[in-house]
Amino acid sequence: MKKYLFVIILIFATQLVFSDDISIETYVDKTKIGIQEYLKYTIEISGEKAGDVKPPELPDIDNFKSLGTSSSSSSSYSIINGRMTAEITKSYTYTLQPRKTGTFIIPPITIKYKKQVFTTDPIRIKVIKGSTEPAPPPSNRFKERDAQESTNLSDNLLLLARVDKRNVYKNEPIIVNYKLYSRYDIANLSFSSEPSFNGFWKEDIFLPENINFQREKYDGRMFNVMLMRSTALFPTSTGRLEIPSLELQVDIRTQSYSFFDFGSTKRYTIRSKPIAINIKELPIENRPINFSDAVGSYRISSTTSQTDIKVGDSFTYTLKISGSGNLKQFDPPILPEIQNLRFIDPEVSTKINKDKISGTKTIKYLVIAQEKGEFIIPSISFSYFDTSQKKYITKNTRSYNINVQEGDVTFIPSSTAQSIVEMEGSDIGFIITDTQMRTSIVYLDRFGYWLIWVILLMLIPASMVYSNEQRKLAYNIDYLRQKQANKILKKYMKQASEHVIKVDIDFYLAAQVGLSSYLADKLKIPRGSSTEQLLSEIGKGEIPDETMDKIKNIFEKCNQARFMPGGFSKENIDNDYKLLKEIVSDISKMKI
Amino acid sequence: MRKSVSVFFLFLLTVGLLANSQVDNIFKEALNDFESRDYQNALNKFRSIEHEGIINANLFYNIGNCYFRLNEIGRSILYFRKALKVKSNHEPARRNLEFVLTFTKDKQDSGSEDVIRSFWKRLFDSFSINLLAVITIIIFSLIILLICLTILFYREREKTVPLFITTILIFFLFIFLILSLLKWRDYHIENEGVLLALSAIGYSGPSNDFTRVFTIHEGMTFEIERQENDWCLIKLPIGLGGWIKIETFERIKL
Repeated sequence: MKKYLFVIILIFATQLVFSDDISIETYVDKTKIGIQEYLKYTIEISGEKAGDVKPPELPDIDNFKSLGTSSSSSSSYSIINGRMTAEITKSYTYTLQPRKTGTFIIPPITIKYKKQVFTTDPIRIKVIKGSTEPAPPPSNRFKERDAQESTNLSDNLLLLARVDKRNVYKNEPIIVNYKLYSRYDIANLSFSSEPSFNGFWKEDIFLPENINFQREKYDGRMFNVMLMRSTALFPTSTGRLEIPSLELQVDIRTQSYSFFDFGSTKRYTIRSKPIAINIKELPIENRPINFSDAVGSYRISSTTSQTDIKVGDSFTYTLKISGSGNLKQFDPPILPEIQNLRFIDPEVSTKINKDKISGTKTIKYLVIAQEKGEFIIPSISFSYFDTSQKKYITKNTRSYNINVQEGDVTFIPSSTAQSIVEMEGSDIGFIITDTQMRTSIVYLDRFGYWLIWVILLMLIPASMVYSNEQRKLAYNIDYLRQKQANKILKKYMKQASEHVIKVDIDFYLAAQVGLSSYLADKLKIPRGSSTEQLLSEIGKGEIPDETMDKIKNIFEKCNQARFMPGGFSKENIDNDYKLLKEIVSDISKMKI
Repeated sequence: MRKSVSVFFLFLLTVGLLANSQVDNIFKEALNDFESRDYQNALNKFRSIEHEGIINANLFYNIGNCYFRLNEIGRSILYFRKALKVKSNHEPARRNLEFVLTFTKDKQDSGSEDVIRSFWKRLFDSFSINLLAVITIIIFSLIILLICLTILFYREREKTVPLFITTILIFFLFIFLILSLLKWRDYHIENEGVLLALSAIGYSGPSNDFTRVFTIHEGMTFEIERQENDWCLIKLPIGLGGWIKIETFERIKL
């Protein structure tokens, strides 16, 4: 009841913007608060159209943490002279938790509505240590007769963090316990946030499930004590690390003063103090080669299920590392490869005890015997850093003799048992025994090679010259006729020879036409000249008289055969064909 | 007179043939010596063939092998490099060289060979000098053939197609000509050396009095840039330059 007397609503920011529509106000429930208390910050929007304004967004406020928001709205209607006016008020209330002591300012809030911008005034808040209100008196149960009772909250409500050691080696576990000490009736408890254990690897040992207090004496007074959290921390880096503080929200039930007063609860936030831990690097000297980051104190043992087996059979080989330390974080020792004993990839299981720092790591290999013989599974050594003796310790397992006998089944290697051919040694390649020891010829050094280039290159001008000649002749009609003469003659000679075989008078026709056009073309005489003209033209040329006579002779015979009846006979045709051939060969021999 | 001339030629011919068969015999003996692990004798015989003036990649390869067996790493590297100089695509020599290089004290590659460069180098090495010469001349004769055909038969016709093909061929000719000329230059250039002494100190000038720049060990291959009296300016594959004594190394020459 009393507390309501303190709740004075202070209207700080009363920037009443006199607009047609809305007005905005902000206020807090108090301007001076304790660090363990909460501040209520309200934004109130009122006016006829207040319902249209978007909910304001709270900016990040330095040194305060927003824990949540609630909103409410109310409306009133009034009818004056038959005119109805509506008044709507929307308020948003934020719960803010101070982060540290000092004087801070809640910045102005800007709200936009219909192109109008409303800005509220900043509010100054003073945050002090402890509480602004007197703490409620401790529970009656703790009242001691003669003792001077302190009413300070911090004397009656404590959260203490305790570690088992402050100077540790890397990977050496630390156990931190957070304990709540209270002399109040506690209605409820909750963690406000998960602390971040930077630089540690954490394993929670204990987290409470329900409120469970035990009475304990601390500092000469009785307290209700509850273990809030117990965590094993394994430092992963070296140097000075801090175990962060745990934050708790505690609801304390206040005492009732009268029969009708059932009391109420009040919320406080308490934190434990952070603890600095000094973490040392493991010493480098005497560090064993097979050291794999195991820190603590361990035992190692090995067992085999069998020592006498048959080829193709399998047995299990188990390594067991037990003790306390960072069991989860180190690699198990590596088994050397043993020929003809195939170790299937192991099954590694780590069983950690409730205290989170001790347990057993079991490495179980299934081993298949591949060949007959005596094999030794050697002693396996495991090294760790003993934190109590502050030195490296190496422990060995015993070795086993495995006797493999001929089995019923021959071992058939599965595909996984196949291996790539391994290089067993390297050497230079053998000498070359090719006896053809000739000096290798380099073509580029040879004159002949470059001569080919020159010859090839010469082909271009040669072909150009040739092409030019061809072009010149192509425009020369006489040349073309000369070229064609042989073709025409061939054609007629063929005809003539056919007629000779058939003993036909057409032989003479073919012979005359063929010969005269051949001569005309060959001697560049215009075509269609008569036989006389042809003969006189031929006469001008350098044709020997003998041939000339033959030509005249054959032309005459042709005329006779064609125009005189019975002018041809079998013998004549043969003779004339012979004569014709002679003429042709004579002329073709001549250079014209 | 004429008789004596013909006898003389006959003599020359027989001497030549004899010399060849003699070389083959020596070679066979050397092979036998090598197989019976008499490496020193095999080496002497192989070297005598080399003295005949025979330039052959296989011969150099075998000499390199002998030197390796006799633990003369430097000379073995020298001869494998010679074999590769004669025939850049001599695969056994390349493999052996790589192997022998693992026995040297100094790391020999420049270490900064990127993918494109090593690919280019491999491609370049995979062509032998004669193959390049033949490819070049084939492309050249194709071009000539095309040009001649065009001149002779495409007189009045459209010349686009032959011109296009010719252009492409000229492009290839250009590439292969450059490649073969580069190869030819590599073949005759004698600017590389292999260190034969156990170690040598590189100075900043041609005398002991200068500052020590580096120390290299047997088998190191480097470029020779200049010579002054008894000293040579060399450049190591990593880019360091310095003067070393001329008698500590031998040039890779044929």
